[in-house]
Amino acid sequence: MKKKFVSLFLTAVMAASLLAGCGNSGTTAPAESKPAEPAATEEAKPEAPAETTEADAAEDSAAADYSGVTLTMWSMWNSTEPQGKVIQEAADAFKEKTGATVNIEWKGRDINTIIQAALESGEKIDIFEDDYSRIAKNYKDYCYDLTDMAKAANYDAVSYACFNDVATGWAGFLPCITEQPQVGGVFYNQDIFDDCGISAPATWEEFLAACQTMVDKGYQPLALDSAYADFTFGYHLDRVIGEDAIKDLAVNGGWSENEGVAKAAQDIIDFVKAGYLADGAPDEYPSSQNKIGLTGKVAMVVCANYVAPEVNNNSGTEVNWGMFNYPEVKGGVDPSNAYAGANSLAIAKYSENAQAAFDFLIFLTSGEFDQKMADTASQIPADPSNTAPAIMSGTVEALVATKAPLSWNMGLNENSELKSSFKDIIISLYEGKYATGEDFAAAMDALY
Amino acid sequence: MKKNKSLIVGFILPCLLTLLIMYLYPVVRTIIMSFFQIESVTSDTSTWAFNGISNYQKIFGSPAWRVSMWNMFRIWLVGGVIVLSFALLFAVILTSGIRFKKFFRAAIYLPNVISAVALATMWIQYVYNNDYGMLNKILGAFGLNGVKWLGNDTKFWAMLFAFIFGAVGYYMLIFISGIERIPADLYEAATIDGANKVQQFGKITMPLLKGITKTNITFWSVHTTTFFLWSKMFSPVDTEVTTIVPVVYLYDTVFGGKGSSSRDAGAGAATGVILALIIVVIYFIMNRLLRDDDLEF
Repeated sequence: MKKKFVSLFLTAVMAASLLAGCGNSGTTAPAESKPAEPAATEEAKPEAPAETTEADAAEDSAAADYSGVTLTMWSMWNSTEPQGKVIQEAADAFKEKTGATVNIEWKGRDINTIIQAALESGEKIDIFEDDYSRIAKNYKDYCYDLTDMAKAANYDAVSYACFNDVATGWAGFLPCITEQPQVGGVFYNQDIFDDCGISAPATWEEFLAACQTMVDKGYQPLALDSAYADFTFGYHLDRVIGEDAIKDLAVNGGWSENEGVAKAAQDIIDFVKAGYLADGAPDEYPSSQNKIGLTGKVAMVVCANYVAPEVNNNSGTEVNWGMFNYPEVKGGVDPSNAYAGANSLAIAKYSENAQAAFDFLIFLTSGEFDQKMADTASQIPADPSNTAPAIMSGTVEALVATKAPLSWNMGLNENSELKSSFKDIIISLYEGKYATGEDFAAAMDALY
Repeated sequence: MKKNKSLIVGFILPCLLTLLIMYLYPVVRTIIMSFFQIESVTSDTSTWAFNGISNYQKIFGSPAWRVSMWNMFRIWLVGGVIVLSFALLFAVILTSGIRFKKFFRAAIYLPNVISAVALATMWIQYVYNNDYGMLNKILGAFGLNGVKWLGNDTKFWAMLFAFIFGAVGYYMLIFISGIERIPADLYEAATIDGANKVQQFGKITMPLLKGITKTNITFWSVHTTTFFLWSKMFSPVDTEVTTIVPVVYLYDTVFGGKGSSSRDAGAGAATGVILALIIVVIYFIMNRLLRDDDLEF
C-alpha cells in the first residue's frame, strides 16, 4: 500500500511538473517568435490613412473559385495560441469564400529546424511561416517568387515597404508576405510620463532630462534584463556610429580606434552612475521588465513590441503603454530607423496552387483577419491601414518612419563567433565594471 | 538447429536493421559531413564541398567554442566531484539501515521525475531572484545585502548548483544498486574482526564499487557532454557566454542563433564528432584506471 502511494505520488509530481513546464511558454520562448496576449480593449488611433485598394485586395483574393484545391500550411504557432486560432479562423473563412481547403500543420517555434529539410525533400507544403530574414536568406531557393502576384494584387498598398524592400534585397525577389511585424524602441508607461509631465524624448539629452525628472518623482527610469543588454546598447551605439560601422567592428575589431565606441560606452557608464537603471538591473529576464507592471514604479524598457503584452501577461496588469523610437545622439547618425523584424509567410517554389496560396496569404494578412490577428494577439497589424491595438501605441508610426530596418542587436550579431562574448562585456558595462568608455572598447578588442 | 538459426536471425534482423539505419548511418554521415563545407544539415550531397580539416580548425579557433569547452570541463569536473560524492554519501547512508530509507530515497530522486524546464524555472524565479528569491530572503533575514546570483560573475555557478541538485538522485540510485550487490557477510566478518564503519567503507565498499563508479563516471561524462537544456534556460533569449556549452554552440552553428541567419552544418558536425570522441576517450581512460575484474564476489 505504501509502495502504491509512493508510486502514485511520484507519478502525480511528474505529471504536474510536465504541466508546469508547458505552462506560460511566453516567458521562455525566443523573443523573435513571441506569442502574445489577448488584446487591450482600447484602440490606438490609426497612423497611416486607409488605402482605397486595401479592402479591394482582400475582397478580390476571396472572390476566386478554388473548389477542390487543397493547400498545406506549416505554421510556427500552436493551434491553441491566439495567432493559431486566428489563422484557423481565416482558413475556415477562406474555404467558405473560395472553396479551397487549407490544412494547417502546427509545427511550433522549432519550425526553423525542420522546414528546410522538408522543402528539400519536396514534402507537400504550399505555405510556411518563419522569420522573414531566414526565409529571404536561408530558404530563398525554395520560395516562390511572389513579385508578379504581389504587383497584380497591389500588395504594396496593404504592407510595410521596409519589409518588402529588405526581403527583396536579400532574396533578389519578393519571397514572403509579412504576417506579424515587429518593431523595437523604447516602450514606456504613459501614466508615469503623464505624472512627471514629460513627453517622448527625441534626443539623448532630452532622454536624460526625462530620466532625472522621473528619479526626482520617485520613479525608476529604465528596466533592463541582461538578455536584452546587447540590444539596448546596440541601439545606442547605432545612434552614435551607425549599423554599418558596428558590423565592420564586430567582424574586424578595432573598437578602440573608433571614438564613437568609447563615447557610446561612456554615455552608458554615466547613465548607470546617475542611477537611471531600475533596481537590480541588469536583471535576469524577465524580472526587470516585469517590474514595469508589478511595481508601477519602473517607467521604460528598450525592447521590441512583444514586451508590452509579455509584461501585461506576466504581471497581470494593464500598463498604459506608449512607444518612441530610440533617441538621437548629438553628432551621431540618422536616428529615424528602428529595429524591425517580422514573422512572414512564404509559398513553396514547387507549390501547384501558388495563386490560391497567395490569395490566402493576402486574405490572412490584410483587411478583416489582419485586424483580428492584431486585436487577438496584441500585435502590430501587417496592413498599415488597419488599427493597432492600444497596447501597440506608437509602433505603427515607428515602422512607417523606418526606411532601412536595423537588424537584431544592430550589427553586433554579424560576428556569430563573438556575439555571445560581446553580450558578456556589454552586460558588464551595465553592471558598472568599466571605469571609462575606453576600458570598454579595449575589452571588446581583447576578444580578437 | 537450422530452425533455431532462422529464428535467431528473425529476432535479430529488425534490431540490426534499425541500428544500422537509425544509428550507424547518421554517425557515419556526421563524420563525413565534418570534412565538408555544408550550409544546411540536409543539403544535397552534390552541394557539399570538401574542405579537409577546416571545420575542425574553425571550431578550435572559435572563441565561443573554447569558452563552451571550458564551461563543459568545469561542469564535468566540479559538478562531477560534487554530484558523485554526494550520491555516494547518500547511497551509503541509505544502505546503512536507517529508518525511512524509502522516503529519503524517493525524496532525493524526486528532482529526476520533475521536468528540467520546471526545475530550472523554479531555481531562476524562486531561488535566485534578486527581489523575492529564497536565497536573498535568507540573507536579508540575517541583515545581509542580497547577492546578484544571476549576474555575470555568478550565473555559471548558479546554473551548475541548480543542475547538481537535480542530478544527485540518479547517481545515488546506481550506487545503491552497487552497494546492495555486496554480500552482507563481508561486512559481518569485518565487524567481527573489529573494523569500524569508516574502515569497512574504505576497505570493502569502495573497492567493490569500482565497476559502478566507472559506470557513473561514464554516465556523468555523457550527461555533461550533452548538457543543453539548463544552459538554454539560464540564457533564455539568446546564448550567453557564461552558460554556453558545446551542444548549444553546435545548435547555434547548425541552425543560427537569434538574429543570425548564418549556418554551418559542417562545423556543427565537427563539433558533434569532437564531443563523441571526448566520451570515448573518457570511457577508455576509466577502463584503464578503474579495472573491476580483479575482484570477485
